[in-house]
Order: sequence, then structure tokens, then C-alpha cells
Amino acid sequence: MQALLVFLAIAALSLLASSPALDPGRFPALARLAAGGFLFLLFGVVLGPSMVGVLSPEDLQLMRPVMALGLGTAGVILGLNLEPRLLRLLPRPVYAAALAHSGTAFLFVAVPLVVPLVLTSRPSVVAAVGAASLLGAAASLSSGHFAVLAYRGGRMDRARGLGVALLTMLDDALGLAVLAVALVLGAGSNPGEGLGLVCLAMLLGVLCGALLAFLTHAMNDLAELTTVTLGMVALVGGAAAYLRVSALLAGVACGATLALVGGRTVERVARALGRVERPVFLVVVFLVGSGLYTRDWAAWALVPGFVGLRFLGKVVGGRLTQRLARGVLELPPRVGYALIAQGGLALCLVAEYEFLVPGTLARRVLDVVVVGAVVNELLAGPAFRQVLPPPPPREPPASAGVGVAT
Amino acid sequence: MKGAVVRLLLLVGLLAIISRAQVLREDAGTPVTLAAGALLLCGLFAGKVAKGLGLPRLTGYLLVGVAVGPYALGFIPGEGVKGLDLVKGLAVSLIALVAGTELRLGLIRRVGARVALLCAAVCGVTFTVCLAATFALKPVLPFLAPMTWQQALAVSALVSTVVVSFSPTVTIAIVQETSAKGSFTEFLMALVIIGDLFVMVAFALAAGLTRASFGGGLDVTGLLSGVGWELFGSVVVGGVLALVMLLYMRGVKQELPLFLVGLSFAAAEGGTRLHLSPLLVSLAAGALIANLDEREGERIHHAIQRAGLPVFALFFAAAGAGLKLDALMTVGPAALLLVVLRGLAIWFACRRFAPADDPRLKQYLWMGLISQAGVTFGLAALVSRTFPTFGPQVEVLIVAMITAHELVGPVLTRRALTASGEVRTDEAQATA
Repeated sequence: MQALLVFLAIAALSLLASSPALDPGRFPALARLAAGGFLFLLFGVVLGPSMVGVLSPEDLQLMRPVMALGLGTAGVILGLNLEPRLLRLLPRPVYAAALAHSGTAFLFVAVPLVVPLVLTSRPSVVAAVGAASLLGAAASLSSGHFAVLAYRGGRMDRARGLGVALLTMLDDALGLAVLAVALVLGAGSNPGEGLGLVCLAMLLGVLCGALLAFLTHAMNDLAELTTVTLGMVALVGGAAAYLRVSALLAGVACGATLALVGGRTVERVARALGRVERPVFLVVVFLVGSGLYTRDWAAWALVPGFVGLRFLGKVVGGRLTQRLARGVLELPPRVGYALIAQGGLALCLVAEYEFLVPGTLARRVLDVVVVGAVVNELLAGPAFRQVLPPPPPREPPASAGVGVAT
Repeated sequence: MKGAVVRLLLLVGLLAIISRAQVLREDAGTPVTLAAGALLLCGLFAGKVAKGLGLPRLTGYLLVGVAVGPYALGFIPGEGVKGLDLVKGLAVSLIALVAGTELRLGLIRRVGARVALLCAAVCGVTFTVCLAATFALKPVLPFLAPMTWQQALAVSALVSTVVVSFSPTVTIAIVQETSAKGSFTEFLMALVIIGDLFVMVAFALAAGLTRASFGGGLDVTGLLSGVGWELFGSVVVGGVLALVMLLYMRGVKQELPLFLVGLSFAAAEGGTRLHLSPLLVSLAAGALIANLDEREGERIHHAIQRAGLPVFALFFAAAGAGLKLDALMTVGPAALLLVVLRGLAIWFACRRFAPADDPRLKQYLWMGLISQAGVTFGLAALVSRTFPTFGPQVEVLIVAMITAHELVGPVLTRRALTASGEVRTDEAQATA
């Protein structure tokens, strides 16, 4: 019955998100949250065990298969974006620029926050380092949706909009790499076992990706192609959840393998997955939100630090990025302000970490990132306006006394 | 077909690797998503293999489910298959919704009375034969042996009502697969649907009598209100759903398949919680829409048909994985006897009572009535829950029968449709 409630709540929210009640002119912040899916995150927090309690911790446990499916899907979509031909074409300074803004934000958040994490929870140093690096990884990620919307709306030129979007796509790699390292440190009883589990996830993904490429090779029926794609996404996420390894990393390996060996099929598979991307994303953010534990005061105390340091890291990293990408990538001035929106991958990273690394520290990381994601999304709008050119001054209206020749 | 075999073998190989890798871990995570993905993929390719062999796709779905499921190769854990109950409920609702859109008023006027009469005859004969056989097996069946003869008679009646039930899901799936259309197909579909309504009423009465024979007292009012709620409540809720769907289709007009899946999910889950019949709820909704607005009925039909491939593949592969092969071993002889007697009773009733104006009904109709699936599973589980002293053993017997019926039923149903000459796809030629 709870599952039914969840789906009905999501359906109601989907209707709300597309309703004229959320007119950007009337409630811009709320409309932005709805458009980015973060309204679902808030709704999950409200319905979760910590607040209204419509969903109990047992219900969330029962929803784990759905979460595994969501993480697997997110991973495969990310992996499919790793198009080898395109990646080879990118010059080195672009990689350096992406690393600059994400790496700076990572260091600005991870290094200072390791201290309060050790002091407030007294875990082993390795666990605190793992948790702090996950916070840093979440901070390093940015979403390019503001830039894309701006160039589509004609408020930013196309080259600059795409430049920002490219940077935000490349920073996903750092986030995923840190997740892998954090899992090596925390998912097993020792780093050796942790490494084995990460390798198992990748191997599983590679096998599934290669098999998906073979299964869909020369498949012409669209319904069959969609069925096989969705089945394989469920299989890779499900197998990872069953083996208790990372569904996200397995999905990425699956998608990347398919992108490498899939040939012409890749585009059709990506299109099939594109149809379920939005609903899956909304369900995932809803479930991540409902997992928030609101009574952890230490987590609340960390949120200002997380948001503030990330902001600072992005601004400073943006300057570095601009310097490194000069002449190669066209970027707007003060590009750091365009990188404040956080995006959904950060939520996937911390959700995965909380699944696989037991303990209160992983939950605290999730709490901080969930609240931080909402705050960053609210900050992102005003921050993005800083990088847009000022609107052209309006022509003064013609005075009544001026005659017009006819 | 060769390509499908290779793909299926590769998939099974991957599942074998995953299950071997799991052994290396101390404990397992949730296997539900794995089960969903694996059964969907294996079902799809097994369906292609079955088609290549001249069998219904559905048989392929079922057999591959049995093969990779927990009772054969064990690549899919039992917990994973059980976790798919939600999907099964959804599939039954969707299938019933499509079936409902076929129930037009004109059709009911044309064949309603004749179908109801034949249905009463088939159900009556089958029930009588199975009741006599089950009661005669009292000394052999462990759960009947210690009972008084009155109790044994009541339990035999209960078992026989469940055994009589047909499978609208299998029939509809085969009709969809073969695109069969015509008077014979209409008659068969109407008969399996009305037959299940008969069974629902009979089951409620038999359960009340059984409870009374075990000292629970015969609560006639409770019995009638329970049956009334299940039947009329389902129709009323179905009517409300139909109105919601019509409003959506006329007002929103977007994402219809997604909306139908959501609503069917709500019908399945909500119906079960409210002690209604999800099958009847969706059936009533579909029938009302088709009769109120024929064009919208057609839209629903096509929207669900587009989503039909994954739904059928997953539903029937999961049903196959849930078939308890070990049950077939323990109560095999008794179950096999009942399977044969049920088949003979249905064959005899059709030969004797089917309308004479269409000789195909006398000859082939019985083949379409052999399958058993969702409804029978549900009733068996209900017996198990309601009568914990002997119910679980009854469930084992009935599940053993379902296993046998699932393996031969779809093949016979398709043969009936092919023999009737109403199959419209090229499959008719392939199997002829």
C-alpha cells in the first residue's frame, strides 16, 4: 500500500509541476525547484519517516529495488554520454579546466570538513576521510541546466552556454572517481576487499554492456529494443544491488562499454532510455529525500559550511578554469557563478554511499548533501544572473509632442 | 531462431555468473530488480525461440521462468520472484482492462445468454466430477484423511470450486499474440471471463460452508455481503475508474500508456486492500469505457497493446519461476488425476452442451478452457490463509495442478484458435 502511496504522490507532484499554479512569474524559486525536480526531494523529506512519517523506514527498505533500478539507469545514461570519439577530440586544456573547478570545490569542502566529521562522530580516521571526500565529491558536481536554458532562451550565446554545459558534464568523472575511492575505503572490511567489490561492479557493468550491445545488434523493432534496454538496465542495477556492489558504477561501466562497442545501436538505446530518464530521476530524488534524517543536529551544523565552502570553491575554481581554458573553450565571465546548481548525480552518489557503507556517518553525508542541494538550487538562479550580460537599455518612449511623418 | 537461442544462452550464462558471484559474498542484497530484469530479458528471447518452434510465445515465457527460477536452476532467488507480486497485479489489471474493452453491449446481447448457459453447464459438470474425485481420494490425501465425512465433503467442494476456474489472462494473451478475431474468439473470451465470475461466487459460498463445518457457524448475511461487495463493489469502483480515465483522455490527452499503467497499478493494489477483485475492477472499467465511448475504448486497447510485450513477458516468466516443481513431485499422482478428470469434464460438457449452430464450439472450445493462472493462484493462496490447518496442503495440490495446466494450456488455447480459423497473423500458417 505504501508503494501505491509513493507512486500516487509522485503522479500528483508531476501534475503539480506542470500546472500553471507554479508560474515562474509568481513563484520563481518554487518554479525553479519544480523544474529541476527538487520539489520532489522536498516532498520526499516531508513524507519520510523523519517528518510526517507516511513512509516508515521499513517502507524505504521495501523501495530499495526501485532505488537500485534508478541508480542503475542513472549510471547507464552517464556511461552512454562517455562517447569515446568525442572525448578523444577534446583538447587537454578542457580537461584541465573541468578538473580545476571541480577539484577546487572538492578540496575547499573535503579538507576543512574532515575536522568536524572526526570531532562530532569520533569514527576511524579512514571513515571520516571517506565521508569528507564524498562531501567533496558532491560539492565538485555542477548542473548545466541554467546555461542550457539561457542559450535556448537567447540570453547567452550558444558557444558559452555549451562551454559551461561541457564543463559540468566532465566534472561527473571526478565525482564518480571519488565515489569509487570512498567505496574502496569503506564498503569492505578492508581496502583490499573494497577494491575487489568496486572491480566486481565494473566487471558486471562491462559484461552487461557488451551483452546489451550484442542483444540489440540488428534489432529493428522499436518496442523490442526498448524492452531489451529496460530489461538490461534493470538487470545491471538489480544484479549490483543483489551482490551489494555499486549499481551506479556498474551502470556507468555498462553504458560506457555500450558506447564503445555498440556502434549504431547506441543512439537508439540512448533514445529509449531518454524516454524514462525524467520519471526515473523524479522517483530517485523523491526516495533520496524520504531517507533524510532531520534530527541529526550535527548534520544541520555542517550544512552552512558545505554550502559556503562549495560556493567559494566554485568561484575560485571558476577563475582557474577561465585561465586554463582561454583560447580553447569560450566561457562567460565569472564562470564560477554559473556552476552553483548542483544536479542530481550528487544525490545518487550519497545515496549509493549510504547503501553500501554502513554507519551513521554515511547517513550524515546524505543529510548534508540533500539539504545542501536544495539550498544550492535556490542560490543558483541569482548566482547565474551574475554571468549574464546586462539587458540592453530600453528605448525611451517617443514624447507626445513629436510628430510622425506619414 | 538461431540468434534468439544464442542470445538466450548468453543471458542464462550471465545469470549463472551472477549467482556464482553471490556465493562469494556473505549476505545478499535485494534480488527483486535482478529478477525483474532477468525474467523480462529471458522471457523475451524464450518467446522468440518458442515461436520458432511453433509454440505460443507464452509457453516460452513460462518455461524459461521455470528453468531459471528457484525450483530448477536457481539463478533467480525465490525472494526475488515473490517481490514481483506487485508487477503481477499490475499485469492482471492491464490484461483485464484490455479484455473489458472487448465486452461490448452488442456482443453481450448477441452471445450473453448462450455463454452464461454453457458456462453454467461446463462449471457444473467440472465441479461435480472434481468434487466426486476429491472426496473419493479422502483416504489418500493427507489433509482430508483425518476429517469427518461432512468436513471432507465441504473441503472437497472448496477445492473443486478453485479447480474449476479458468484463466482469462492466458486466453487474452494468446488472443493478442495471434490477433485472433471472430465469433469463436468472442465466445471463448466471454466464457472464461463469465466462468471466473461464477467461480468467485461459488468460492465465497464454499468457503462459508467449510468454515461452518469446522464449527465456525454459518453466517449467511456475512457470506452474502462478502460476495456482494466483491462483485458489485468491484463493478462500482471499476465505474469510477472508467470515469477518471475518460476525463483524463478527453482533458489531458498525453502520456496515455503511462497514465493507464499508473491507474492499473492503483486498481490492483487498492482493489486487493479493499477486498475487491482487481480483475473485475479493471474488466468493468474497460467494458464501461468501450460502451460509453467506443473511440476511447479503442485508444486504450492500442495503448496497452503497445506496452503488452514487456508486461506479458515479465508476468508469465515470473509465473513460471513461481511454479513449485517440488509440489508436483509430492502430490503429483493426485494432482495429475484431477488434471485429467478436469480436462475430460470440460471436453464432455463442451461436446454435450455447446450451441449446435457453430460446430467449432463443440469441437475446439474445450481446448481454450484448460489453462489456469492468476485467479487460481489467488484463490489457492486465499484457502491457505483462511484455513491454516489444512489450507497450505490444499495450496500445494492446486499449485501442482496449475503447473501442469500452465504447461499444456497455452498450447491448447492457440491450437483452438488456429483450428477455428480466426487467427489473423502468419503464425496460423506456421502452426498449421
